[in-house]
Amino acid sequence: MKTRSKSASPSPKGLASTHRKAWLVFLCSTTVVTGFAQASDDAKFSAYRDALADGNPGEFWVDDGEDLFFKKAGPKNASLEKCDFGLGPGVLEGAYAQMPRYFSDTDRVESLEGRLMTCMKTLQGLDDKQIQEQYLNIHYLNAAEEDNRVSPLAQLATFVASKSSEMPFQIALDHPKEQHAYELGKKTFWHRMGAMDLSCAHCHAVPGRVLRGVELPVMTDPERAGKVMGAFPAYVNKDGNVRTQWWRNERCLLAMRLPWLKTGSEIDAALILYQVKKASESDEKIAVPGIKPRA
Amino acid sequence: MQFNFCQYSFRPILIGLSTSLCLAGISLPVAANDDNLDRGKAVSEAKFLEAVKSSFLVNHPDEWKRFTDPTLKICNQTLDKPSIEQANAIRKLEKANITLPKDGQYMGDWQKGQMWVEGAHGGRIGFPGFVDADDPSKPNGANCYACHAVDPNFPQHGNMGPSLTNYGKLRGQSAAIQKYTYEYIFNAKAYNPCSLMPRFGSGEGHLLTAEQVADITAFLLDPKSPVNNPKVDGEVKKLSHP
Repeated sequence: MKTRSKSASPSPKGLASTHRKAWLVFLCSTTVVTGFAQASDDAKFSAYRDALADGNPGEFWVDDGEDLFFKKAGPKNASLEKCDFGLGPGVLEGAYAQMPRYFSDTDRVESLEGRLMTCMKTLQGLDDKQIQEQYLNIHYLNAAEEDNRVSPLAQLATFVASKSSEMPFQIALDHPKEQHAYELGKKTFWHRMGAMDLSCAHCHAVPGRVLRGVELPVMTDPERAGKVMGAFPAYVNKDGNVRTQWWRNERCLLAMRLPWLKTGSEIDAALILYQVKKASESDEKIAVPGIKPRA
Repeated sequence: MQFNFCQYSFRPILIGLSTSLCLAGISLPVAANDDNLDRGKAVSEAKFLEAVKSSFLVNHPDEWKRFTDPTLKICNQTLDKPSIEQANAIRKLEKANITLPKDGQYMGDWQKGQMWVEGAHGGRIGFPGFVDADDPSKPNGANCYACHAVDPNFPQHGNMGPSLTNYGKLRGQSAAIQKYTYEYIFNAKAYNPCSLMPRFGSGEGHLLTAEQVADITAFLLDPKSPVNNPKVDGEVKKLSHP
């Protein structure tokens, strides 16, 4: 599927892609998952990941995201190809490895999804309402455990992020606003809140924590943070869908019984930055799209 | 300086209950770095709440209270180690929130309690139309297995709280134990001020009614409950929560 040519992209294009996805998901769930049904921790699941290394359904999100990225759209009838992810307009290689980061044009720290939405405004001329209707609604609702909704924002993010695969995160925190965002992320991570009275840290800063049979990763540990953060956007087998770093954090906040975290918001970027900073202190490399049993 | 709130709060109740009664003793981990001590204190509470307001969507203004609970504020400020004065103030405040079921009994129906203990439904809020948000018209569960082993026949459990298997077998069903168990489930922070355990009967977004807390108390204490009986060989536990 990696050799799929863009010009041969069928129309309507979503349909063929859905069939391929369905076929692959069927294959995964019948031949691979059964053998590892009892696997519940990261170590046990590495065999599963290896088995799917050459057939990760997340590759479809990379391909579809590439199509979307170069497609002209919006009131300005422009593509996103001149979007500046921090290394210059249109430079994608290695950009995700340094995000979230400060952008002087918006004067804020932006995550990859946040930056994509900025470029939809500046390059394509979309307004907030159009972005909400065309991208965010499906991005949010797609977070349900179902495979029939594919978020174009997740497709775009997977494509851009895949251009940093094989690279480690490099988070320098050079700009004062990046330092502030890191501290805000730290505060959010360690802050007890929500109807469960928990902080992120109660579950994810303690080795050996198990939640209803599920082993929890220690996100303050650089190696583990590197593995986890470097896998997103990841194909999640349980959902039959690709999930982003935002989605992973929102799932925890949902379980903490907190309100809905807006994609691209200040705390969204800050929470990601805190964790990718930890990741950047390890030698772990980005491997997008990652593949996960559940996320 | 550390103070053992568990021992402190039990001594007046019953000697010999042992600290294992401390359903959720607090022990925040020593992280490999100083984040455990720092916790982003460079960002003021006001700045944090400003960021919260712009970053989250609420369906109802009351949901903002989930960020500003007064008891958690003290726990956050003191790294879960409140002073004795603060601890006493929290216990007084939280104790005042505890109410009894309509029939005035601490022990309800243990079979219903089994459903509430297993159920993970309840309290999740989110974007309108998001199917993983919980329907408020359905009864909530307490998701006890997230943190505790309870019924030995249940296949999964977490380890954030101590095992409650044989809870009633070890402690009996005295009036004092009934009251203590009920109150601890209703509001753990009435005993252990910065307990990891949620306040199931009190606070914004709390999950259980007083009757449900009594049902769970019975599930833990009733001699007929599977909690207080040996594991049944070969039994495949089916989820009884609706």
